[in-house]
Amino acid sequence: MSETILSVENLRVEFETRRGTLVALDDISFSIAKGEVLGVVGESGAGKSMTGAAIMHLIPRPGRIAGGRILLGDQRIDNLDRTGIEAIRGRRIGMIFQDPLTSLNPLMTVGDHLTETIRVHLPLNRRQARARAIELLEEVGIPDPAVRIDSYPHEFSGGQRQRVVIALALCAEPELVIADEPTTALDVSVQAQIIKLIRKLCSTRGTAFMLITHDMGMIAETADRVAVMYAGKVAEIGKVSQVVGAPLHPYAQGLMGAIPSLDNEEPRLRQIPGSMPSLTALPDGCSFHPRCERAMDICRQRAPALLGAIDHKVACHLYEREEVAA
Amino acid sequence: MSNSEFVRVEKLNRVFDVSKPLLNRIIERQPKRFVHAATDVSFSIAKGETFALVGESGSGKSTVAKMVVGLLPATSGTVEIDGVSITGKHDRAQMRALRRRIQMIFQDPYASLNPRWRVASIIAEPMLALGIAKSKAEAQHEAGELLKVVGLNPLDGRKYPHEFSGGQRQRIAIARALAAKAEFIVCDEPTSALDVSVQAQILNLMRDLQEQFGLTYLLISHNLAVVRHMSSRIGVMHFGKLVEVEESRALFKNPRQSYTRMLIDAVPDISAATRR
Ligand SMILES: Nc1ncnc2c1ncn2[C@@H]1O[C@H](COP(=O)(O)OP(=O)(O)OP(=O)(O)O)[C@@H](O)[C@H]1O
Ligand SMILES: Nc1ncnc2c1ncn2[C@@H]1O[C@H](COP(=O)(O)OP(=O)(O)O)[C@@H](O)[C@H]1O
Ligand code: SF4
Ligand SMILES: [Mg+2]
Ligand SMILES: [Mg+2]
Repeated sequence: MSETILSVENLRVEFETRRGTLVALDDISFSIAKGEVLGVVGESGAGKSMTGAAIMHLIPRPGRIAGGRILLGDQRIDNLDRTGIEAIRGRRIGMIFQDPLTSLNPLMTVGDHLTETIRVHLPLNRRQARARAIELLEEVGIPDPAVRIDSYPHEFSGGQRQRVVIALALCAEPELVIADEPTTALDVSVQAQIIKLIRKLCSTRGTAFMLITHDMGMIAETADRVAVMYAGKVAEIGKVSQVVGAPLHPYAQGLMGAIPSLDNEEPRLRQIPGSMPSLTALPDGCSFHPRCERAMDICRQRAPALLGAIDHKVACHLYEREEVAA
Repeated sequence: MSNSEFVRVEKLNRVFDVSKPLLNRIIERQPKRFVHAATDVSFSIAKGETFALVGESGSGKSTVAKMVVGLLPATSGTVEIDGVSITGKHDRAQMRALRRRIQMIFQDPYASLNPRWRVASIIAEPMLALGIAKSKAEAQHEAGELLKVVGLNPLDGRKYPHEFSGGQRQRIAIARALAAKAEFIVCDEPTSALDVSVQAQILNLMRDLQEQFGLTYLLISHNLAVVRHMSSRIGVMHFGKLVEVEESRALFKNPRQSYTRMLIDAVPDISAATRR
């Protein structure tokens, strides 16, 4: 078994509001191994970003972790204090967010960004940090890095800026990178380059990635395993060949069927009726049941548990009985 | 005019002046600088057809779209809809009649919906402005009917845009285009901000409406799978030029330009999941 970098166990996140307690994440469990890419997919509001935020202690107020554990290697990190988590953020866990412009200061050159971050995390002097920054820019595929290091963010194209953000996340050689929709705003050609880059980093450096996206093509090309989230829960998790190639959960099937593909000639796309419920109005039982074509009586009464083999689990009553029988 | 040329775009050009202010130019001894956002772009669209423009960010797709609907003046070139030039001189009544026939849908429907108006009024507005509805009451009633057509509830008309999700707002924008009795709808990245599941709903709706009302679409998207799914012909833009125009199936099977090949090959493919 390969070395586990991150494990999230039965994570629960709640928001205390005047209208009662909202459960944003409910019993989330998964792990990521060294050099592995775990894709996290699902419609907006499913809880993908919230999961990343929980790991980084960035849950917006008044939200809080109300149960479960998060481990980085064998260190528990969900109960760290502020200095504890700050020593990990950026150092052992890197972060990449959706909009590269908002994560870069327009008044600072790319080199300033990189050297500053490098020197916070690594014991290097200014000159060494600059040399390291140029190496990093080279590694993420910025042409002519020794010259471009002194450019400002707005002098780069969107794709190049996102590479700079990736370089920033990699500064301290973190074990894990959490990338939240890193290519949503980018062209396919740039996307393809970022995909290649992520794969290269996994194999050469053993970096583990948690790749949050709603782009299934990106997942198919990049991820080793994938977790499908729905209304704050994991609906299905397993190898990408199984979950994307032959999904079991009706929601996962619906998601995959909704994607237009280059070789599909059907005039209509498959669509999932309705939309994701809000946290204030989660249906009883399986929260997908109002949209599920295969819903049964039990689905309206009891929430299905996430069951199955270690490498492929699904939360759906359709498969629960088989499980009991097996 | 033949049916194959319901929309005719000929040698459209747009140049943006991005020079520094005069004084800076003199001090720094710099010449004027221009961006050729569109250069000699020509294509035509048949009635009831979906024509798509693809290309990387900055290739000039939105610039062309805005000139086609008349939101951006062209530096040169002509756009004709049903034989009438939208770039030519018209009196106000003619212009209004033309405007009605062409509507535009944007990536971010929120930006194009007045946040202080109720949805029913947003949809009723073009009917009143263009004289399609005789009275306010008639327009409001029609708005309710159109909400049904796009898959919403007539009662949703009482709500404000912020009370809707991205996909629902896009439905509202489509309802407003239908309210103007549009025949030609220019859609600039209509589903790029939406989840795949919602995207499927909107694309299916666009197809249904096209069949029902005989709509003609100009679709702009950087998602080649969406374009492949929706359009019968595709134009590929690169640095402001239309480098290839081809029937959709043929373009994907046998692109003539290496640039087109590169775009197609770059599409992340879900079938990769089963190969790995
Ligand atoms: N108002 C403007 N002033 C100066 N340059 C402009 C202006 N609008 C567009 N441009 C330039 O014209 C070119 C084409 O832009 P356009 O918005 O048409 O691209 P696009 O193909 O729609 O890209 P995207 O996929 O990113 O929306 C770009 O180089 C852009 O920077
Ligand atoms: N500050 C907040 N207060 C209350 N609920 C929130 C807050 N931020 C997010 N949520 C809710 O948490 C759920 C998960 O959100 P998020 O993780 O952002 O979804 P995703 O990234 O999958 O689109 C959503 O239902 C969202 O409405
Ligand atoms: S548990 Fe029932 S409602 Fe939920 S996905 Fe499975 S079949 Fe559908
Ligand atoms: Mg998110
Ligand atoms: Mg554009």
